[in-house]
Amino acid sequence: MKQPLTLTINGESRLMLVEPYYSLLDCLRDEAQLTGAKKGCDEGDCGACTVLMDGKPVTSCLILAHSAHDCDITTIEGLATVDGLSPVQKAFVEHGGLQCGFCIPGLIMSATGFLQANPDPTEEDVRFAIGGNLCRCTGYARVVEAVMAAAQEMREGR
Amino acid sequence: MTTQFKVLERNHPRVDAYDKVTGRATYASDVYLPGMLACKLLPSTRNHARIVRLDTSKAASHPGVRCVITGTDFPDIRFGSGALRDRYIMPREVVNFVGEPIAAVAADDEATALEAIELIEVEYEDLPSVVNPLSAMGTGAATVHPELEDYEGYGFTLGHNVSTLLDADRGDVDQAFKDADAVVEDVYRSQGINQGFLEPMACVADVEPNGRLVVYASTQGPYQIRASLAGVLEIPVSRIRVVAMELGGGFGAKLRLTFEAFPALLAMKTGRPVKLVNTREEVFTMNGPRLPVTNYIRSGVMRDGTIVAREAYTIFDVGAYLGAGPNSGIGHGIGAYRVPNYRLRSYGVYTNKIYVGSYRASGVADMTFAVESHMDRIAHELGLDPYDLRVKNALREGDVSVSGAVVPTNGLMETLEAIKEKIDWPRDLEDGHGLGLALCEWRSGSGPSTAAISVNDDGTVSLLTGSVDISGSDTSLAAIAAEALGIPMEKVVVAKRDTDLAPYTGQSGGSRIVYSQGTAVQRAAEDIVQKLMALAADRLGVPEDALGCEDGRVYVMDNEPQGLTFTQLAAASITSRGGPIIGTASLSSMPYTPVFAAQAAEVKVDRETGQVRVLRYIQAQDVGTAINPMAVEGQLDGGVVQGIGRALTEDQQFDPETGAVRNPSFASYLMPLAMDLPESEIVLINVPAPDGPFGARAVAEPPGFGPPAAIANAVYDAVGVRVKELPLSGERVLAALNGQNADIDFDVEALRRAEGIAAD
Repeated sequence: MKQPLTLTINGESRLMLVEPYYSLLDCLRDEAQLTGAKKGCDEGDCGACTVLMDGKPVTSCLILAHSAHDCDITTIEGLATVDGLSPVQKAFVEHGGLQCGFCIPGLIMSATGFLQANPDPTEEDVRFAIGGNLCRCTGYARVVEAVMAAAQEMREGR
Repeated sequence: MTTQFKVLERNHPRVDAYDKVTGRATYASDVYLPGMLACKLLPSTRNHARIVRLDTSKAASHPGVRCVITGTDFPDIRFGSGALRDRYIMPREVVNFVGEPIAAVAADDEATALEAIELIEVEYEDLPSVVNPLSAMGTGAATVHPELEDYEGYGFTLGHNVSTLLDADRGDVDQAFKDADAVVEDVYRSQGINQGFLEPMACVADVEPNGRLVVYASTQGPYQIRASLAGVLEIPVSRIRVVAMELGGGFGAKLRLTFEAFPALLAMKTGRPVKLVNTREEVFTMNGPRLPVTNYIRSGVMRDGTIVAREAYTIFDVGAYLGAGPNSGIGHGIGAYRVPNYRLRSYGVYTNKIYVGSYRASGVADMTFAVESHMDRIAHELGLDPYDLRVKNALREGDVSVSGAVVPTNGLMETLEAIKEKIDWPRDLEDGHGLGLALCEWRSGSGPSTAAISVNDDGTVSLLTGSVDISGSDTSLAAIAAEALGIPMEKVVVAKRDTDLAPYTGQSGGSRIVYSQGTAVQRAAEDIVQKLMALAADRLGVPEDALGCEDGRVYVMDNEPQGLTFTQLAAASITSRGGPIIGTASLSSMPYTPVFAAQAAEVKVDRETGQVRVLRYIQAQDVGTAINPMAVEGQLDGGVVQGIGRALTEDQQFDPETGAVRNPSFASYLMPLAMDLPESEIVLINVPAPDGPFGARAVAEPPGFGPPAAIANAVYDAVGVRVKELPLSGERVLAALNGQNADIDFDVEALRRAEGIAAD
């Protein structure tokens, strides 16, 4: 039977009724109508469902929705503001760091969480930071380039 | 970069980039309709068995279940994805592989649908089965399709499990082998490969109140699945609308009908929208991957390296059904080389395992691994440099390809020279390090293509094509339209399409869209220019031939200040005699245009573990005019990485007894991750294609062909062992280092005898 669950999603507190067996990913997609996070495997292998939970990247398919009670969740829908894209999103657009786009919400969330904790990474650091995100289209070259460019812009913007 | 173009040969962010980086892009699994039911499938647990009893009564009466269907709920019509109609959309009596869906449930939610699947009772009577394709060709092997000769499309009889045989012959092969100074013979084996797209198969089917079926699909070919759906459901094409949603990767796997018929029939029976989203395990076990390929290859060569004869017998395992048409490997048995005498055979052989599907130029990567490894073997046998051997034998303009078409102007030699310079070939390296080369060839894809462009009153245009964007092609097509019309990219809006709106077109696959569909777009734009010129002549009161057109402006050639801009003409057209302007174009095929790529790998082999690390990977490809260089490089980056996965880690494994997929997850099927890879190094060669849009060639297929051979050749250069089987896992390379890599058994004499060819 569905149980009440309180989450802060993209800065807004939400009270939902959610099945006890639902993953955070299913909760976001089916109950909160936020379909940006993708279900590529539902096994924690592909990273397409990555969101930030209290600021840290997590694979939302492996987290029971109710275990995230009272947590602060940021999804891809929460990055852009009325003023425009986040630096990471902007860099992915400008550097062509996306093709089919299915893995991109996860990659951008991984990169966003990583850069918040590591503002001045090496290229190798970035390759390891996105090591939990599978992408079949890009070969990662332009993804890495985009994350490095975003890091630089975020540093200079500060 | 200097360029003659205003829009092309410049980097443009994708037209769909904002949607994709904000999570707004809508894929089929993101479609939620009111009252929507969830669909789940019951897989067969046997690889060849008669269904004796299939009892769905308990499942059907389970609370929350709205409908259960099995094979007999579909019309009794055979269906085929390839040359043969060799299957039912859902088996009626006999299952042919472990994982084959035999029932589908629609329920209020996914959990209830899964409970119902558990309640379906099945009894099987096992039939003799065969899993190994080489065994399947022998006498005494179990027969996968006893009714094969009755199938529509079957054209010959060459053995009870042979679905297809493609052949190509030229010259006097046997004499040429006798005259050769040396003969080099090899057998190669390449593994099963999953396409690895990130978006699982997904579909939402809905029935409109008027009875029309609407299918929101994840597909590369909306018109093709519409036709197949009409066939298996026995309803007219006009009663089906396919909405192609954003495609989360396909690479060939989504070219044809997959599971759309299940939610479609359930929606027709319940009157409710029905959604089916595959799990990753279902993607691996139900939807056709590439299956293992065995390649026998033999060459007759002269002392100076000239190849005079080639014989190649290739066995393509096609699994339970011909899910991908006849393999396209046949033309690639000679590679990118001039070979005056050849005998090439490609067999498609049925086995009781998952059916074969398409993947990024199906079969060509397997052929390239064999041919390009074999080239190095020839070089070493003759004591020649592998680079020089390739240059000596490479195709030249005017040579005749296997298809019979004459090779037009191309940049093959430039690609070879580019990688030679960039990797500094030949070069002495420390122990355990090595260099390897591969040459790849493909052709620019053809097929029916259409485009319609309408001019808006503010001077913008709306571009409508039926093709699904799988590679950034919407952006490239917009760039082509903008270039042809002399307007900036921002003024081109690319319409989202479905089969009701856009004109018919072929599938997005085979590196076809920019080359063929792009030509249609270019011609549609030229159609608009002609109409605008006529309108301008009318408005300016001068004959059309007195007008020039440049930078989105039509002017009087004798008096340049007198003219009208594209925007002024667009506004004027709305109330003109001819009315608002639409440009259209159609074509059915395009001339043969080859695409060549040369690649070089530098590797490090760990002698203790056999692990291979790719330190550098360089590719040079003749892309003709690079419409959007950033997108072109993106295709090259991604293609090579898929090829590196094929070379080193990816290996779809099958149980030798049951044929079941043994590693149906991303944790066990190992695709490259960011930290596994070297930096991307690309050289774009531009020899404009005589026929492509503004000289563009196809791009997407060749990058993935080269890595297995280039890396295998580099491993040989590094540690002196020749590995002829993929992937080049640590285990396999270590075995080779320990002298334990046995040659692959292949009875070529049996195949020659079957054709009446005498033994040597």
